Amino acid sequence: MDFSLSDEERAIRDTARAFIRKEVVPLEAELLRRERAHQPGLRRDELRELQARARAFGFWGLATPAEYGGMDLPAVLQSLVWTEIGHTLVPFRFGGEADNILFYADAAQREEFLVPTIEGQRISCFAITEPGAGSDAANIKLSARRDGDDWVLNGEKTFITNGNDADFAIVVAVTDRDKGVRGGGTTAFLVDRAMGWRSEFIATMGEGGPASLVFEDVRVPHRNILGEVGQGFELGMKWIGKGRYIIPSHAVGIGERALRMAVDYAGTRETFGKKIGENQAIQWMLADAETELEAARWLILRAAWTVDQGLDARHASSMAKLYGAAMINKLVDRVMQIHGGMGYTRELPIERWYRQVRLLRIYEGTDEMQRLIIARDLLRGYTKIGGHLA
Amino acid sequence: MKIVVLVKQVPDSGAERNLRADDNSVDRASANNVINEMDEYAIEEALRLQEAHGGEVTVLTMGPDRATESIRKALSMGPDGAVHVLDDALPGTDYLGTSRVLAAAIGTLSPDLVICGAEATDARGQVMAHMLAERLGFAALTGARKLTVEGAQLTVERQTEEGYEVVTAATPAVVSVWDTINEPRYPSFKGIMAAKKKPVDTKSLADLGVSADQVGWGGSATTVLSHSKRPARSAGVKVTDSGEGGVALVDYLSSEKFV
Repeated sequence: MDFSLSDEERAIRDTARAFIRKEVVPLEAELLRRERAHQPGLRRDELRELQARARAFGFWGLATPAEYGGMDLPAVLQSLVWTEIGHTLVPFRFGGEADNILFYADAAQREEFLVPTIEGQRISCFAITEPGAGSDAANIKLSARRDGDDWVLNGEKTFITNGNDADFAIVVAVTDRDKGVRGGGTTAFLVDRAMGWRSEFIATMGEGGPASLVFEDVRVPHRNILGEVGQGFELGMKWIGKGRYIIPSHAVGIGERALRMAVDYAGTRETFGKKIGENQAIQWMLADAETELEAARWLILRAAWTVDQGLDARHASSMAKLYGAAMINKLVDRVMQIHGGMGYTRELPIERWYRQVRLLRIYEGTDEMQRLIIARDLLRGYTKIGGHLA
Repeated sequence: MKIVVLVKQVPDSGAERNLRADDNSVDRASANNVINEMDEYAIEEALRLQEAHGGEVTVLTMGPDRATESIRKALSMGPDGAVHVLDDALPGTDYLGTSRVLAAAIGTLSPDLVICGAEATDARGQVMAHMLAERLGFAALTGARKLTVEGAQLTVERQTEEGYEVVTAATPAVVSVWDTINEPRYPSFKGIMAAKKKPVDTKSLADLGVSADQVGWGGSATTVLSHSKRPARSAGVKVTDSGEGGVALVDYLSSEKFV
């Protein structure tokens, strides 16, 4: 059993690390200043300029196939790169990405939606969640009614990431209520904002926020159906599955940086005439934080490895997402505790992480949803205790 | 133009580094070993020359087995191939011995130009370029912040404490560079994937015609007798401002030659 990285994996990881350290981390002070002034931390043109710089040496489209100019990295490497991105507070991501399900687009849709999204000229959002249908996607109400060559959409989506910035949405709508959501009753549509939907910003405890999307008699041509009629739920599940190892990979990066800060602080901050790191109370916090960080790392990499093996990664990804989200919340809490009053101030990024990582236990499937998946798989005998080694 | 770039693997200067208690040598086993930072500027300069004038760029490294990692990293930036001098007799070799081995290796490559970092962050001797030039009979253009090539004519802006000197020489030459000379590129994704396919020629001392008693602990002209940790930083000077604080500060800065 080999837990080390190959030369290429290490080189790609190290290059991402160097780029983040040299080009992105230096923007952090300005980011925090703007956020304190309630301005967007990183403007879109600044993000695109950073992405263009990384593209110049081929870091573009981590998950995007080579035919679209992407790196087409295996999931393990994508995970490693996302961990590097987690080292910075700046909401950076490498460019050249598109929602995985956009690759189901037909030739004309690829030209109109997929390629411009990869190139950063268009911004997409994926809309499945509704006020009355979160993870129980089977309760989707937003309807699409056939009318000649068009479909007419009515209803509301909510908590849609990028919903405020997107110029088109991938919308899952009910097209045949009798068939039910899982029985082929839903369909995914590519809907330009210009077709008439509007978005409403939702303020959150984090920086930035999602949006509600409102559809009132929005007419969408039949040719804008993504995939097949009736394939909506299936595509939705594919979209959701993707994030479940990427999100905690990012969290591991946050954890590495935050823990490093705590270790440094414990080794320099003195109270009662000695360094606080000499106190067992602090040592135990550090030890638990590192142990859980390491445990999360390997759960995540195992989930990514499962993807790379072409196996069903749902169970492993759910464990990675569940544990990774819990880990980072506990870790940031400990790091704040070790920093005491300083950790609570806006001079340090800890309070920002504290607000940011709470979301990880909620979005893209709550803790409870992950547990539901894990438990159901076990009870149905779908997965064996002991994972792929069993 | 045929260019050889010297690349050394060193302990990461951003982390804690130690000398070994037994033989006073750099502890490489416990360190995170990386390419000597200044060498990345040397690689970048070689690649820019290659892009402008054609030719080939070969990386030359003397070091243990694991130096392969640094060679691959260097190759991922773009050089065509590498020579790795690897021999069990090499540990303990000092500057003179190292220059003997590197000069022999460079001799087999017959380059027009040898480019290296002005210093390595482990030993910081700043002597290798001079020693190599002497052994090879090449011109030595050291401490460059700018290098221009016109035909066989090299012009270097040589960085000094006060400014810079302009020096010229004809090829063949050894040029050492500071980190002011360029901004090294990131290894490209394609470069990383291509690096493992690039040729790395491993050479022993015998291949280079250097005998084992000219290198290593026994063959070195210099010996490190002892070492000690840098003393802890002293408490510094506290100036209490009772109206004259500014003057006291300037006096202090001026006494330390900061102003």
